[in-house]
Amino acid sequence: MKPTAPIFEIQRFSLHDGPGIRSLVFLKGCALHCPWCQNPESQDHKGVVAFYADRCAEYFECDVVCEADAIRREGHRIDPAKCTLCGLCIDACPSGALRLIGEAHTPEQLMERLRPDIPYFTNSGGGVTFTGGEPTLHPRFLDRVLDLCAAESIHTTLETAGLFAWEKWRPILPKLDLIYFDLKLMDPERHAEQLGAGFGTIQGNAVAMAEAGLPVEFRMPVIPGFTDTDANIDAVARLLLRMEKPGIHLLAYHNMGEAKIDIIEGRQPRLGLARLSEERLAQVAARFRAQGIAILNEAACA
Amino acid sequence: MGAAVDRPDWLPSPQIQKLYADHSQSVPSIGVERALHYTEYYKKLVPPGASALQQSAEALAHHLDQRTVRIHDGELIVGSHTEHRIGAICHIEKAGAAMLEDVMSFETREVNPLALAPGEKWTLLRKVIPYWLTRNLAMRAFTLREKVKYAGEQLNAVHFVINEAAGVAHFLPDYGELIRLGTRGLRAKIEARLGRGSLPADGRDYLEASLRVLEAIERFADRHRAEAERLGRDDVARVLRQVPRDPPRDLREALQLIWLFQLVIQVESIDQGISLGRMDQYLYPLYCEQKRRGEIDDDTVRDLFAAFCIKLSEVIPLFSRRATEYYAGLPSGQALTVGGVDAEGNDAANPLSFLLLDVMEGFKTRQPNWHARISQTSSPAFVQRVVEVVASGGGSPALYSDDAIMPAMALRGVAEEKVWNYATVGCVEPALSCESFTSSDAAIFNLAVAMEWLLGGRGRLGKDESRERPWLRGIHSLEDLLRELEAQTGERIAQLKGSLDAIERAGAEYYPTPFSSLLVGGCIENATDSTRGGAWYNASGIQAVGVADLANSLAVIDELVFQKGLYDLEDVANACATNFAGQELMLARARKISAFGNDDSRVDNFANRVALLFDRCVSQHTNTRGGRWVPGFYSMTCHQGFGQRMAAMPSGRLAGRPLADGLAPSDGTDLLGPTASLNSVARLDHSRFANGINLNIKFDAATVAGEEGRAALEALVRGYFAQGGMQVQINVLDPAVLEAAMRDPDSHRNLLVRISGYCAYFVDLTPAMQQELIDRTRQRAR
Repeated sequence: MKPTAPIFEIQRFSLHDGPGIRSLVFLKGCALHCPWCQNPESQDHKGVVAFYADRCAEYFECDVVCEADAIRREGHRIDPAKCTLCGLCIDACPSGALRLIGEAHTPEQLMERLRPDIPYFTNSGGGVTFTGGEPTLHPRFLDRVLDLCAAESIHTTLETAGLFAWEKWRPILPKLDLIYFDLKLMDPERHAEQLGAGFGTIQGNAVAMAEAGLPVEFRMPVIPGFTDTDANIDAVARLLLRMEKPGIHLLAYHNMGEAKIDIIEGRQPRLGLARLSEERLAQVAARFRAQGIAILNEAACA
Repeated sequence: MGAAVDRPDWLPSPQIQKLYADHSQSVPSIGVERALHYTEYYKKLVPPGASALQQSAEALAHHLDQRTVRIHDGELIVGSHTEHRIGAICHIEKAGAAMLEDVMSFETREVNPLALAPGEKWTLLRKVIPYWLTRNLAMRAFTLREKVKYAGEQLNAVHFVINEAAGVAHFLPDYGELIRLGTRGLRAKIEARLGRGSLPADGRDYLEASLRVLEAIERFADRHRAEAERLGRDDVARVLRQVPRDPPRDLREALQLIWLFQLVIQVESIDQGISLGRMDQYLYPLYCEQKRRGEIDDDTVRDLFAAFCIKLSEVIPLFSRRATEYYAGLPSGQALTVGGVDAEGNDAANPLSFLLLDVMEGFKTRQPNWHARISQTSSPAFVQRVVEVVASGGGSPALYSDDAIMPAMALRGVAEEKVWNYATVGCVEPALSCESFTSSDAAIFNLAVAMEWLLGGRGRLGKDESRERPWLRGIHSLEDLLRELEAQTGERIAQLKGSLDAIERAGAEYYPTPFSSLLVGGCIENATDSTRGGAWYNASGIQAVGVADLANSLAVIDELVFQKGLYDLEDVANACATNFAGQELMLARARKISAFGNDDSRVDNFANRVALLFDRCVSQHTNTRGGRWVPGFYSMTCHQGFGQRMAAMPSGRLAGRPLADGLAPSDGTDLLGPTASLNSVARLDHSRFANGINLNIKFDAATVAGEEGRAALEALVRGYFAQGGMQVQINVLDPAVLEAAMRDPDSHRNLLVRISGYCAYFVDLTPAMQQELIDRTRQRAR
């Protein structure tokens, strides 16, 4: 059977997640549940019918066509317990307020959607970035996709939080041109409490990846009150100092993910944080630099 | 060649900066002298039995002999478009009379006010307008009944606008030949032709008129030389002792000579689309020669071209408020092309091309309309520099793909061994340098209105209520619908053809243009005026507006009517007639359907079918000069002018809203970013679009900032051209700056933006166009 993976979005003309002009492929499913997640709709492995309340004009065409009695007129439109993901309501909705998030794709179907931008990839040194969710949850799928990309000379980048089985991924990782590895909380207890299990695996994978000589770059989302404590910064720095060329990308927190919580009836808490200020970002960068860690996206952090 | 070009730190010299400051402070005014002199001539001075050619020549000479001559402080190149420093000419015998409908309000109107002295206003009203009301080109063209119909059509145009009613213009004078020959050489050429005999009827008449106008420009130049001597401007006088009679010895003399001809062509014909062609090519030998002699450094060359740009920017077209809805932003379409390939297909960009790019970047003026040709063989350095200049803002240059344009021109009968030497005319139209007379902007046609006409049963929608529409009951499929639309379009094109032919014939019969014809290859050889078919290559360009609107409407009807059966065509027609009142559900469904511009082959193919339908309707016709009709796809601001007068469309575009700009997707309907949008456009069969297209895309300044942003922009252009894209023009906009300019125009006088096919000062646009620029989809990195 062909491997498939649920893809919730392909975002074209991205300039910020790897070199050149890129298409970002968002794969669904993640074992972590970071409270600041920018894509809360990506966490659940299953597909879900998302509801964009601001677009709904209350024609209730969805209710007319639903055969599973999953439409509710109050609150979140879809009852996930009853929804069979048949998609009838999505088609019937006149105003585009419903959308299936996480449609299953075969590798060939995904390639079909990526191919139109190849002329822009090749002219810019760009390509495809797999993100999520946690794309490493789909090793068989990505293994095949990476082969197909290689066949068409498409540059590939993986974004991962590092929670994957090393043995399963060891043969696949060399097929990637670039790996972004996100480091978050370095304290095992806080990690377990706030992100979930897997601290040891992530730490081990980070080191293993660097030692294997893979083209990996580490990144840290700077989340006020979570990852930007002095202790956490120093711990990340200590880990990086074990690498040959210690350096880090800093990703400034923005709160656009919170708006997405409603559309999937998500259970993610609202942090109520403001976006990270430039001053704070500069301070975090300075603390890294002081410990001999290069800032890889210097322009954004000056 | 030029592989290692550093970013120059060129700043215009203080003299140029002063010149530009003086220019900017001049008040745009109506130059009435031409209208007065022409009226005087045609009223009182026409000799008995004088031919139209003789009259055209003598009227021009009469005007040039009396035109006020001024040389402004510090000018390197002299001679003005009108008696004012920045001026608009009233070409009274052509469309000028119609533009004078604003005569009482030129000074007070909000958009593009023009100064007009009270005494002059009354002279126009008493002596000039009454004489020309019955004698202007359009009135000469038609019988009384046709006149009434024509005036009705054009005053509130929704089906098409006939630009040629203002005169043909729109060609590439052979300035390469001019700088080789000077007026002495041209005279010798004409006399040789006279001496050779075997002249066509009117041949002698034409050649003699040519000699008259040559003498007229020489006298006009002499008067400037005398004025320079009087002012003690020896530098200017020295230049004018060489040109126009003898070939220029250096770039300054060449630019002076070209400007004199550019000026007089625009005085004689009309100030629309008189284009400069490949200046980096035909001036390159002179540049090299001067460099070899050690006479000139590159900064001086840049300064000279800056001075030339100021002269070009003195030209303002005279448009009434009504006309401004269709052509906002005071375009005069003096296109200047750089780059491209040579006769062997190699990269033709040279050091002079790079100097011109520096001027584009560092000296942003209203004119010229800067264009860069890019081919597969263009050097990386050239493309990189072009994109750098684009990213610096101001919308220049617009980018043209040789690989798309040259085959398209060859398909229209331009010899394959010549297409390499095309340049752009006016807004976006490719034409063969030196030997073509293309009337590339003959008319702009509203393609989208065919849908309204069809749904309305050969009448306009919008005023009527819901009603029975039995004529729609025979339409059962998309193929039926397309057939009907093609029939409607064909009829409308035939109607346009009737009017346009009449105008062409009247133009040729009453107001030929012997001066302009001097530099149109073939005219002297054939001893025939350009308006009468003297050029080696003739054509007429007819542009379509509303491709995306029509394609999106087809996609909606196909899905909601023919596939899902949710509505019948009468429901859709009634919804359009009532602007979707009470039909919000249908409107929502319509807008949900994937529109042109999202890399969706289904609707993109509809767009292609619509474009090819237009091509078939247009290409079956020829003009009165024996040239083919060639389709183009650009809108100037007719997408606003037409759209304002149209009912809602099945696509969900509401009544009165603009149509899509040129070949771009409709407003706010391309949702997947620039790569998807460019792919959709590139999917169309550009080999059929030989009269050019315009695709305007806008970026947030932040997205294309820095080296990363510039590289992304370059990759977008290359990727688009690699897939067959023909043209793109890129606006880099900061919405905050545009909003500030709307609030405080005085502080933003020099903010240039690119409209459909040309650049304009933002503050010169109508408020509706300004808002459109602010509202429209801007591409951002995501």
